[in-house]
Amino acid sequence: MLWTARLYRRCLGVRLRAAMEEPGDFWLMVASALTTQVVGIVFLWAIFRAIPQINGWRFWDIVLIYSLVVVTEGLSVLVAQGAWQLAMTVNLGELDAVLVRPYPAVLQVLASAIGINGLGNLLLGCLLLGNAIARVDVHWSPGLILLAVGLLAGATLTKIGLNLATNCAAFWLKSPFSAFAFSMHTLGELARFPITIYGVGVRIVLSVFLPYAFMSFFPATTVLHRGAPVWAGLLTPVVGIYSVAVGTWLFRRGLSRYESSGH
Amino acid sequence: MTAQAAPVQDWPDRRDFSQPRPRGALWRAYLAMGRAHLRTVIAYRTSFLFGLLASTFGSFAMLYLWRAVLSHGHRANGFDWPHLRTYLLVTYFAGSLVSSYNDYRMAGRIQRGDIALDLVRPADFQRSRFAETMGVVCFEVVVGVIVVTLGALAFGGLTLPPSPASAALATVSLVLVVPLRFGLVYISGLATFWTQNYVGVQAARIALVTLFSGTMVPFAFLPGWLATTCTLLPFAGMAATPALVFSGAVQGARAVEAVAVQLAWAVGMWWGARLCWQAASRRLTVHGG
Repeated sequence: MLWTARLYRRCLGVRLRAAMEEPGDFWLMVASALTTQVVGIVFLWAIFRAIPQINGWRFWDIVLIYSLVVVTEGLSVLVAQGAWQLAMTVNLGELDAVLVRPYPAVLQVLASAIGINGLGNLLLGCLLLGNAIARVDVHWSPGLILLAVGLLAGATLTKIGLNLATNCAAFWLKSPFSAFAFSMHTLGELARFPITIYGVGVRIVLSVFLPYAFMSFFPATTVLHRGAPVWAGLLTPVVGIYSVAVGTWLFRRGLSRYESSGH
Repeated sequence: MTAQAAPVQDWPDRRDFSQPRPRGALWRAYLAMGRAHLRTVIAYRTSFLFGLLASTFGSFAMLYLWRAVLSHGHRANGFDWPHLRTYLLVTYFAGSLVSSYNDYRMAGRIQRGDIALDLVRPADFQRSRFAETMGVVCFEVVVGVIVVTLGALAFGGLTLPPSPASAALATVSLVLVVPLRFGLVYISGLATFWTQNYVGVQAARIALVTLFSGTMVPFAFLPGWLATTCTLLPFAGMAATPALVFSGAVQGARAVEAVAVQLAWAVGMWWGARLCWQAASRRLTVHGG
């Protein structure tokens, strides 16, 4: 177990060093991620200039939910960006090399890339999260802080699991692009806002079928004590583990369909 | 390994090919390029439609959010829900034109050095890319109309332009979106000559266009100084101008003025892109000789 974790870290380390070889690219990715997230915040700020609250949610409540998406997205692409390489790897038949190495194939795939843009997300996300935590109407006891850390871990696992699961579509679609996973990722971006603003169908999809709402909305409601029953948010770590399990299971199912590229 | 090619000094000026060419032949060539790309998009429609689905989700999120903001007949900055809904659907339509397809392809060719082949072709590079883009636009218009119709049905309808003059001006404005967006997408694609990485450039471009084109939020919601700046920048013409004219938020002389600004930028971008190309093509890097 420890060996597995250490090797995973070393795989990522190699990717990080490779990314540092191109400092121009490195800063471009960080800056573009920052720009994207700043634009989202300017948008929220512009709306709240006109109205005091949306469906009973105040500005900092929404910033809390929003920043959780930014942080979990940042963490997921930093430690498991490889999921997004799967489509190209399968299409080119490059999974062959992965399969002969004595290390779990799914972990090799996840560690096959590092998303430097995650640093930009993490930087801005932590800044927003810190500000939101300081300004929302919550009394922070040590127990609650501990719970919040657990929820954040669960939220990140949810995002990583869903990224893996949706990218496994590559085994069936065989297209070199992750277009399906990317469109599901944008669906997940709906979780940047309180899901109570959506229609009932969208809410069910985001909480049950593709539980992106567990990256942000449900953990936030547990901390804020409003918007959803407290127990829903407490499920976050369970949903996180479940998502990763589903992702791994789909990966196994996909592998049995994998047929290389005919050489 | 990459090797920087020497500046191409003795390159023949492509506007000055010695043999006279019949103009018609070149036009037929551009038409063929457009058709070829339309066929490519249709052949790879699954990928393309998933990409479109992504922007549709984003747009629907905006519609839901604004519906919550303007519920119970609220008005904000001169917009009520039916008009803002119309505004957002038109910005979605404008934003779905000239989406990321041709720029990715171009960036890939620049990275691999294949662009050298395009340089020896007897057709103008920028016009060729524009012709290809137009082929894809045909597809995008059809899909965009379908999505907007579905969105209008799901969220309660589209308000029509206040007068025939507004409708005509909105149409002109929507047509101008194409050269404008092409100009920016093309220039950002050329940035690959310097960065050799397109993902970051593209993400930053999309973020900036989203904000400064008024795709998510009409300029009226921004502070005065920022709103004025946005109105004068080229981004306004990529979504806000047609949407404001269509929804009737801007009418009469002010609407004509806004479309004139849009036209000026469309022309400016075209020639600006030419200058960028002149600078960029001197940085050509070809892999492996």
